[in-house]
Amino acid sequence: MGTNSGATAGINNKPVGGAGGAGVLGGGGVGGANSSIGGVLSNSLGGGGSGGLSISGLNAGGQNANVGGLIGVGGMGNVGGDDGGNGMVGGGPNNQQATTPQYTIPGILHFIQHEWSRFELERSQWDVDRAELQARIAMLLGERKCLESLKSDLTRRIKMLEYALRQERAKFYRLKYGTDPPQLNEFKPSNEDAGLAGEVATDSEVPYSSVSNTTWRQGRQMLRQYLAEIGYTDNIIDVRSNRVRSILGLNNNAEHDGSGGGLGGGLGSGTGGENLSPNINGNESNKRASETEGRHTPAKKVQQSIDEIIVDTEAAVMANFEFLGATEMSDDDEISDDLEMVATDNDDTDVKMAKRAKSGKDMLTEDLEADVGEQLLNDMNLMTEEVDGSLGLGELAQLTVNNESDGAYDANSKDGSGGSAGGAGYRKTWNAKYTLRSHFDGVRSLIFHPEEPVLITASEDHTLKLWNLQKTVQAKKSASLDVEPLYTFRAHTGPVLCLGMSSSGETCYSGGLDGNIECWQLPSPNIDPYDCYDPNVHSGTLEGHTDAVWGLTTMQSNIVSCSADGTVKLWSPYNKEPLLRTYTASEAEGAPSSVDFVRNEVDHIVVAYNSAHCIVYDTETGKQVVRLEAAQEMSGNTGKFINKVVSHPTLPITITAHEDRHIRFWDNTSGTLVHSMVAHLEPVTSLAVDAHGLYLLSGSHDCSIRLWNLDNKTCVQEITAHRKKFDESIFDVAFHATKPYIASAGADGLAKVFV
Amino acid sequence: MKMADGSTILRRNRPGTKSKDFCRWPDEPLEEMDSTLAVQQYIQQLIKRDPSNVELILTMPEAQDEGVWKYEHLRQFCMELNGLAVRLQKECSPSTCTQMTATDQWIFLCAAHKTPKECPAIDYTRHTLDGAACLLNSNKYFPSRVSIKESSVTKLGSVCRRVYRIFSHAYFHHRRIFDEFEAETYLCHRFTHFVTKYNLMSKENLIVPINVGENAAPGESEA
Repeated sequence: MGTNSGATAGINNKPVGGAGGAGVLGGGGVGGANSSIGGVLSNSLGGGGSGGLSISGLNAGGQNANVGGLIGVGGMGNVGGDDGGNGMVGGGPNNQQATTPQYTIPGILHFIQHEWSRFELERSQWDVDRAELQARIAMLLGERKCLESLKSDLTRRIKMLEYALRQERAKFYRLKYGTDPPQLNEFKPSNEDAGLAGEVATDSEVPYSSVSNTTWRQGRQMLRQYLAEIGYTDNIIDVRSNRVRSILGLNNNAEHDGSGGGLGGGLGSGTGGENLSPNINGNESNKRASETEGRHTPAKKVQQSIDEIIVDTEAAVMANFEFLGATEMSDDDEISDDLEMVATDNDDTDVKMAKRAKSGKDMLTEDLEADVGEQLLNDMNLMTEEVDGSLGLGELAQLTVNNESDGAYDANSKDGSGGSAGGAGYRKTWNAKYTLRSHFDGVRSLIFHPEEPVLITASEDHTLKLWNLQKTVQAKKSASLDVEPLYTFRAHTGPVLCLGMSSSGETCYSGGLDGNIECWQLPSPNIDPYDCYDPNVHSGTLEGHTDAVWGLTTMQSNIVSCSADGTVKLWSPYNKEPLLRTYTASEAEGAPSSVDFVRNEVDHIVVAYNSAHCIVYDTETGKQVVRLEAAQEMSGNTGKFINKVVSHPTLPITITAHEDRHIRFWDNTSGTLVHSMVAHLEPVTSLAVDAHGLYLLSGSHDCSIRLWNLDNKTCVQEITAHRKKFDESIFDVAFHATKPYIASAGADGLAKVFV
Repeated sequence: MKMADGSTILRRNRPGTKSKDFCRWPDEPLEEMDSTLAVQQYIQQLIKRDPSNVELILTMPEAQDEGVWKYEHLRQFCMELNGLAVRLQKECSPSTCTQMTATDQWIFLCAAHKTPKECPAIDYTRHTLDGAACLLNSNKYFPSRVSIKESSVTKLGSVCRRVYRIFSHAYFHHRRIFDEFEAETYLCHRFTHFVTKYNLMSKENLIVPINVGENAAPGESEA
């Protein structure tokens, strides 16, 4: 009851008398949650000091004054001097507290409860903060250890290659001169060898980092699993990797040497932000780090695990490794089971590589391919090239290509684990699977349902059609993998040019040459194609544009459209007054050709104009926020016409498809051109970015669609998909948000879906 | 329409094109079209130039495969019939037109179903157009748009017969819509002329009174 009595007593908000003041001072200190209460209590003590009260942590007087104000109880002022520590409620008048308000016991209790809960809250917040900071420390520590172990890993590989090279040279020497070369079995390479080894090392820097990328990818995926187990969801990891990507995005396209140079650079650009994820897992990386460090310090031990495998498998190979000496088998015991897996995996690779190196008179790619897994194979291919590269000292160009595709694999596997998109994760090759034929004329636009394997196409034949990829209507009139449309939307009186779909997938919108935007409630994806006509499917028309509607895109419940009448309009389709706002640019800009919401910035839209400029508007104010243009690049903008503009889903980047065959990347904040590339043989007409922001899909009048890795802006795949009608071929491309589908729409009246 | 560089004419509808400029480019002679869709391009070009010049539109170029010519025309008809269907949707409801009829003589059964069904007129219209779209785009019967199997050509007649009923229903029950549509597109005109010329339907089925003779007269002198 100490608190209670204290509370009763603690009604004086100023220390009474000199002694009281001393008591207060004596107890001064920071006591966390309790301190203020203590302060209140101690005030009552007067000359008695804090004897009777257990809570003695005091704050400054100023805070006590506050407390008094809060309590707002008058008349109870206590001259506690005589009472000492009893905490008795003093009834005596308090001359120093003429203005003190009345105190009541319930009021005080309430106050204390209130304060208590507040302090509790603060404490838990503090705990959370602490945990966060600790996690961060662990993360940074892990990061460091990752880098360290990466370094040791690389060193190990360098040693291996040096060895392989020596073997080769020895063999060469033997073949050429018929005798053993001098110094063959010496561990220390001869001067000549050393020189060459050094050369090799520098020359092959790029491939080294890429090989380690592969290794890291395995480790990363494993760690990702661990993380998932301890509750670090992909979201958190993604946030981190996004951050890193955005950092990398700033020095865009810097490739390996740009972002930090050397090793760090290779790591950064090759493997993206995911390197960071392992760090969260303190234990594992600690163990691993210590293990690798242990290996690293004595140079000879580098090969210990390789030797271990060799003992098991090939004595002959082991003989070759003898010079590497010291096998410290005992080390293995320290390795945890999980890590053993990783280690074995790596070692396996290494052994294979060693074998390869040993027998590698020529390029021996083929014979080993049969018995190694795909992933290993990848390693090996890279490795082979390394060996060749180091021996032949050339082929760097080829290596670069390989690196790029390696990065692509990497991102792909990430994609696989991130989305529901299945796939073993390695190289994903898209193949045409479904042909959607039913339109009589060019398909201008298509859009996927956000979740279902369902899409809608819009055509110049004035109709839209709904397709369910799971309902390949085998029946009467169609061949194997053709899909028959489930529903035909008719309302436009001219070609339909653009499509949008609500995020729920319940509603879709189409804009046509007739200037109307039609709103549709999607029928069930299991509807009978020859069901009765339901007029409610067509749920409204947005009238306002006076000319063809060429662009349409949705964000939550709003849609934005652009039209040949020169305006861009923002709509809220099911409002009483659906038209929210109209944005008009100066005459000089010409008509808008395409529009998109800026995905990482609310209330911003980006509009492409005939002038080949893009303008970002604030939808609320209607003001122009930034103009995307690059003077020298865009000078003489005839032919630079923008066919399509899309916003990156996570980064402040706008991507434009141009008539002059280029795809250009813009920084939304500064409005500057970040990157520009010739992407097709003919005008680029359409763009789509996947939901994770890793891949870009482009379509062109050259009849092909291309898939691009956004990290390094390289083409991952090209597919010839459609035929020409007049001088047009592909009108639109799309990614499914959650399933592994991409699609293209063509002037030949077909739409194709690739899996 | 789009003059890019020098003499090259690029026939493209770029985003932002005004609707009056859509497909407004200099005609391209059929022999210069190297696309597999040349016939469609050619037909659309003629219609774009003057939809009322039915005779010219239906005049088959020399050395043209007749099957392909008929097939592409029928595709074009079905496509343009969407326009009539859109208009009918507004007025023709299952409550007003419970059956697909033209004159009182026949009730047409909808062939889109496993067993032909007495669909309301609007459903009949939609199902017939949807079914025609599927058939004409079928990989089985029409895998190519460059050459057409003889067995598939026979399918065209039945498609013609079915879609013609849409004209006749509109004419007898929604005359205002029909007249408006016809004034714009001359579609029934062209269709009647087409089926007569290529003998795809028997004359007694052509119940919409279109004065074919008047239009056909100059045509016959050419043909």
